[in-house]
Amino acid sequence: MSDIAFLLLIFIMLISLMNYRQEEPIDYPEASLTEVTQADNNLEIWVRRDGTIVIDGDVVSERGAEGIIADAIAEDPSVRIHLLADRNTEYRTVASIISILQTLQHRVLSLVVSDGTQEGTP
Amino acid sequence: MLRVPTRRRNRVDIADSGALSDLAFLLIIFFIVIAVFNINSGFLLGLPRKNSVTTVQTDDLMRVAIDADDAIQLDGRPVDRRELTEAVRARRQVQPNMTLMVTIDPQASYQSLVSLVELTRMLDVDNFSFRMGEP
Repeated sequence: MSDIAFLLLIFIMLISLMNYRQEEPIDYPEASLTEVTQADNNLEIWVRRDGTIVIDGDVVSERGAEGIIADAIAEDPSVRIHLLADRNTEYRTVASIISILQTLQHRVLSLVVSDGTQEGTP
Repeated sequence: MLRVPTRRRNRVDIADSGALSDLAFLLIIFFIVIAVFNINSGFLLGLPRKNSVTTVQTDDLMRVAIDADDAIQLDGRPVDRRELTEAVRARRQVQPNMTLMVTIDPQASYQSLVSLVELTRMLDVDNFSFRMGEP
């Protein structure tokens, strides 16, 4: 019985890891006084140091990102958009994403940062 | 006829065994850990409408510029982060409705924006705007 339980545990862990979010290797910006910005429905936009935009593990152009964000907002207007950008990425990329959200009339943006308690993660 | 005594095993109900409760406990721990890993924290920004115009009295305005090297200028004067914090704090005591207007160079780092947002939260600056400067 314990063998079956162990295998079941491994199976469920693997299934969960498949659904686990696609982490990008970025250096998180650091700040204190942060708040939890997670909502029920979330869309994460990753920006690598070189300005590459990644959504759900796929590299997308600015235009592609706009389409994905528009679809997400159309599906659920209350979707929370999270920006997870490398601390050293140029501001121009961040500004372009903010401009996309403004064009789509989405009013809230979550800037995900690390509070410094755990290196490399928010 | 010779009879060999056999020992019968008592069947154990799965629900009564300890393995199931062990498994449930481990699963709970696993999902709790996964849930904690997935929680994002940071700052929530309220974005204005695109090309919207807000009228601000020039006396209430505090202009900050960040250049490509993340150097900070306050009203055209180079300052470090500590000096900026003190200047904003002093200004806010005199003018609680002050507006902090930040112009950020396109090549400045994202960390510089985050640090400024952190500053506004720390000093309770309600009126805060940022835009991209000319390259």
